Amino acid sequence: MKRSIIFFVLIALLLSACSSSTAAPAAAEAAAIDAPVTTLRVAQQFGLGYAALTIADELNLFEKYLPGLQVEWLQLGSGGAINEAFIAGEVDVAVMGIPPFLIGWDKGIPWRVASGMCVMPLSLQTYKDNINSLADFGPDDKIAYPAPGSIQHILLSMAAERQLGSPTALDDIGVAMAHPDAAAALMNQKDISGHFTSPPYNFQELSQAGIHTVVDGTEAFGTEFTFLVAVASEELYENNPQAYSAFVMGIAEASDYINQHPQEAAAILAPSFGLDEETTLKYLTWPGMNYVTTPLGLMGFSDFMQNAGYIEKVPETVSEIAFPNVVAAIGQQSGTSGELETLQFRPE
Amino acid sequence: MPILKKVTENKILRQAFFIAILLGVWQYIVSTGNYSELILPNLRSIWTALVDSISTGEMGERTAYSLYLIGKALAIGSGLALILTALAMLSPLFADFVKTITTIFNPLPGVALLPIALLWFGIGENSILLILVHSIIWPLILNATTGFRSVSRTQLEVGRNLGLRGLKLVSSVMVPSAFPYILTGFKISWSNSWRSLVAAEMIFGASGGQGGLGWLIYQKRFFLQTPYVFAALFVIILIGILVENVIFAQIEKWTIQRWGMIIQKEK
Repeated sequence: MKRSIIFFVLIALLLSACSSSTAAPAAAEAAAIDAPVTTLRVAQQFGLGYAALTIADELNLFEKYLPGLQVEWLQLGSGGAINEAFIAGEVDVAVMGIPPFLIGWDKGIPWRVASGMCVMPLSLQTYKDNINSLADFGPDDKIAYPAPGSIQHILLSMAAERQLGSPTALDDIGVAMAHPDAAAALMNQKDISGHFTSPPYNFQELSQAGIHTVVDGTEAFGTEFTFLVAVASEELYENNPQAYSAFVMGIAEASDYINQHPQEAAAILAPSFGLDEETTLKYLTWPGMNYVTTPLGLMGFSDFMQNAGYIEKVPETVSEIAFPNVVAAIGQQSGTSGELETLQFRPE
Repeated sequence: MPILKKVTENKILRQAFFIAILLGVWQYIVSTGNYSELILPNLRSIWTALVDSISTGEMGERTAYSLYLIGKALAIGSGLALILTALAMLSPLFADFVKTITTIFNPLPGVALLPIALLWFGIGENSILLILVHSIIWPLILNATTGFRSVSRTQLEVGRNLGLRGLKLVSSVMVPSAFPYILTGFKISWSNSWRSLVAAEMIFGASGGQGGLGWLIYQKRFFLQTPYVFAALFVIILIGILVENVIFAQIEKWTIQRWGMIIQKEK
């Protein structure tokens, strides 16, 4: 009897420990709100789409708008991993594809789009001469993309819906692989027959003789679309508008810098990509590359992803998923929709 | 307190009681509302996810594929282990060789072999099979050879006196008396391979058509469907418990317990 009393006392202690430890972070959060943070934690991945971040960092463009701002970088391997870091409260701002952002938004992560990053050619490559459309992929072929729910996976689903009648038609031959691994595998004609990827990996693949594009992102989506968006937490926007604005302005200035001065940008970016300056310049000025901060295709992605069952809800207006600076850049024309509003959707 | 006494005396009720407490603690932490549903989903949504993934056939398909891979690997692994052990029994030189490679490879976690498996066999079933066979074969050889070596001389002599020779001697005397060791080997092999399988699928992400429970977790993770992740974890635990406490326990009952090699388990 005595022993069981001790047992229940221990259980009670355990329970109270759980509840007190849950109360502690809440108190810490409250304290953090009072003192404005001058640290901005930015999550990014690897590729040409993130070039504006590197330029802004190298040229101190964030600090230009908020002196003393400390930027902490977090390099992650996929939008899914960024979602997890955001939920864990380790990130204020993240740059990612529109689909993983929408998955997070659908599940209630409090964040919105703070800026577009770039429009770029994404594409599916193969080395097999007999594959010219999606229908030519057999059950033993494998198509690599970085992760389920990534923009590459969603674009492949869009193309599959167009060409094969079902968005999930190719899910059985899809395989998740990191960009560099999959690019190496494709160029060595090993394991995979297709790779849906983004710059610089598709540029590298296409530079090798014998590799050709099966379908590109614009064909799949139906029109131009934004590849990456910068996403900020509601908390940052509410509690630290200065840091938020410095980030948005830094991205805008860096994007303009790359478009206006590709030569200088290539010199800055080359070491971080492990490429020489000439190749970097070639990639930066590849047809279709555009560092543009007004996002395109936000609603097109969410409509498709809801129809295909990847997310449950869709935003009624862009303002549900984007901050006012972005909504204003798109505009809201009285009467019929303006051009930029129409470009948020896929063409009929 | 007759009810309390009854509960504390019955093993199953006792375990059910502990599980109920754990679930209660879980639900209590959820109900404090300090954690988002994405981090710690409540039990009801995990249950809904489990029911949903079973009814759509997804969970069944993934589980079946995982078990199919393990079954295949167990067949290959135990076949290889049998051959190596038999050869080691016949030649002392070969026994040293088997002992050496077992010593080298046994401590190596299967998942650590993944990059090499990918280089050799590429992505797909064969790489995973290599890892599974690796995690099955060494503990099996280790236990089987220990078992055979522990067969008492007296028993062997008795067998010989009864006129048993060669294979007959092996099947009637040596295998039964080494069986407790062999069974332990299988238990270790099973749990090693079950763990390796789930881990391997999550690390390099098997392809959609050829993916088991590890792939299911990997996929649900990217769509932030945390309740489904927990549902898959639940199935993994359940299968682990079923195999260890039902299947192996039953084999034990039919064999070494019936042969009087171990005493009846405590109730």
